[in-house]
Amino acid sequence: MARKTRKEYEGQSALNNIMFNSIGDGAVVTDEYGRITAINQSARKLIGVTDKEAIGAWFPKLIRAYDDLGRPVPLIERPITKAFVSKQVVTARSHYKAKDGTMVPISTTASPIIVNGQPIGSIEIIRDITQEYEIDEMKSNFISLASHQLRTPLSSVKTYSHMLLDGFMGPLTKPQIKALKTIISASNRMNETISTLLNITRIESGSIVVAKKPISISQIIEEVISEHQLAAADKSIVCKAKCPDRSVKVISDSVILKEVLGNLISNAIKYTPPSGTIRVSVSLKNTRTVTIKISDTGMGIPKNSHNDVFSKFFRAENVVKQETSGIGLGLYMVKGLVKELGGDVWFESKEGQGSDFYVSLPLDNKNASKNKLVRK
Amino acid sequence: MADILIVEDDKDLNAAYKVILENEKHRVKTVYNGEEALKLLKTYQPDLILLDLLMPIMGGLELLEKYNLKSHPKVKVLIFTNMENSPEVTKAYNLGATRCIIKSWTAPQNLAKVVKDTLNNKVLSRT
Repeated sequence: MARKTRKEYEGQSALNNIMFNSIGDGAVVTDEYGRITAINQSARKLIGVTDKEAIGAWFPKLIRAYDDLGRPVPLIERPITKAFVSKQVVTARSHYKAKDGTMVPISTTASPIIVNGQPIGSIEIIRDITQEYEIDEMKSNFISLASHQLRTPLSSVKTYSHMLLDGFMGPLTKPQIKALKTIISASNRMNETISTLLNITRIESGSIVVAKKPISISQIIEEVISEHQLAAADKSIVCKAKCPDRSVKVISDSVILKEVLGNLISNAIKYTPPSGTIRVSVSLKNTRTVTIKISDTGMGIPKNSHNDVFSKFFRAENVVKQETSGIGLGLYMVKGLVKELGGDVWFESKEGQGSDFYVSLPLDNKNASKNKLVRK
Repeated sequence: MADILIVEDDKDLNAAYKVILENEKHRVKTVYNGEEALKLLKTYQPDLILLDLLMPIMGGLELLEKYNLKSHPKVKVLIFTNMENSPEVTKAYNLGATRCIIKSWTAPQNLAKVVKDTLNNKVLSRT
């Protein structure tokens, strides 16, 4: 093959430069120290810098990244750092601060440049996702509004059905009671679905509001069990709770915690055959954490599904075969909500032998001295 | 037995809560928005206000701002809404609301129980 002439090389280099600057998305190339060696026109425009200002500058300092709440993204979490360290392609979403101070929502893909197995630099592709971001926000607002509007009539359906069932409007026949229980059960299912969609939207958009304060763990458990008593009784399932006295308090948000426990108890009822048992208990292993355990005698979770249980839209094979309702979002939501509460959720289960779900939460240390279980 | 003011724009729900709470032997008054509530509260001090947040004319948050719970420390406010985990609920707490419950989750017997618990806490906080 004939060697290229200097002129040919120069021509090729000019062409590469033209192509680099013609890429619609921003592209920034750095050396092994993170210094910018090339930046294309789209990236310069996005950040609001000139070629002269950018070349030689330290990428993380020139192009600052922030999360959805406006907090700076730590250097170690920046895709460009992760790509260099892991030698893998890393993608992420964040906000870049342009020179004029405006925050631009961006999607980045950082790739290491590897020569002889060693990273010698990296290239980051930056895409302005302002439009997608606005659409996401609109979607989120729409779901919030739609959820609220759906719940308003549902509140009337539920309240009046319960009033009828509780005898406020006089005695009922057995078929009337059965029909009312069906209405209540269906309205509860609809309510759960609306709550799940609403919570997931808020978790994913980072707009969930958590109001933590000391709350009695026993009181919350009693209320949640009481709300699910009807559904359990329908399947002759016994719901037993072993709780400490009401002085044992956790630092949490009562509404969110009720949704977490409600979801786990509702699942336990749904996946336990008639005449089964659900047990809720509370334990304290140290002065900082309380663990709530929800055990059922249901169908259990197959071992090959254990890693996916908290994934979005996941439904185990044995569940899909027996129970057609459900969208596979409940446990995904539970995981997200428990994280917001500063706790953790996990499970132990064997197919056909039931499941134990655990939720750990921070204990109210100020009241720890009143906490009888701590001394045990 | 306590004096309870229900502030709820949905007439069906307002009527239902009145029946449920009167069944528990409470004395109940009802209004349909914050403005009506504010007018009534000039001459009437309930033990507990059962308050919706989203209402026409004047919502629950505006009522809390104008009523100023700090100057009425004996009055408990139970927020009854369908907007859980929202900035509105946080604001209601900041304005002095005692507790928040979700309408579509709450069956009548639970409403009666939550009202009773909130009133009992009130007795505790007085002593």
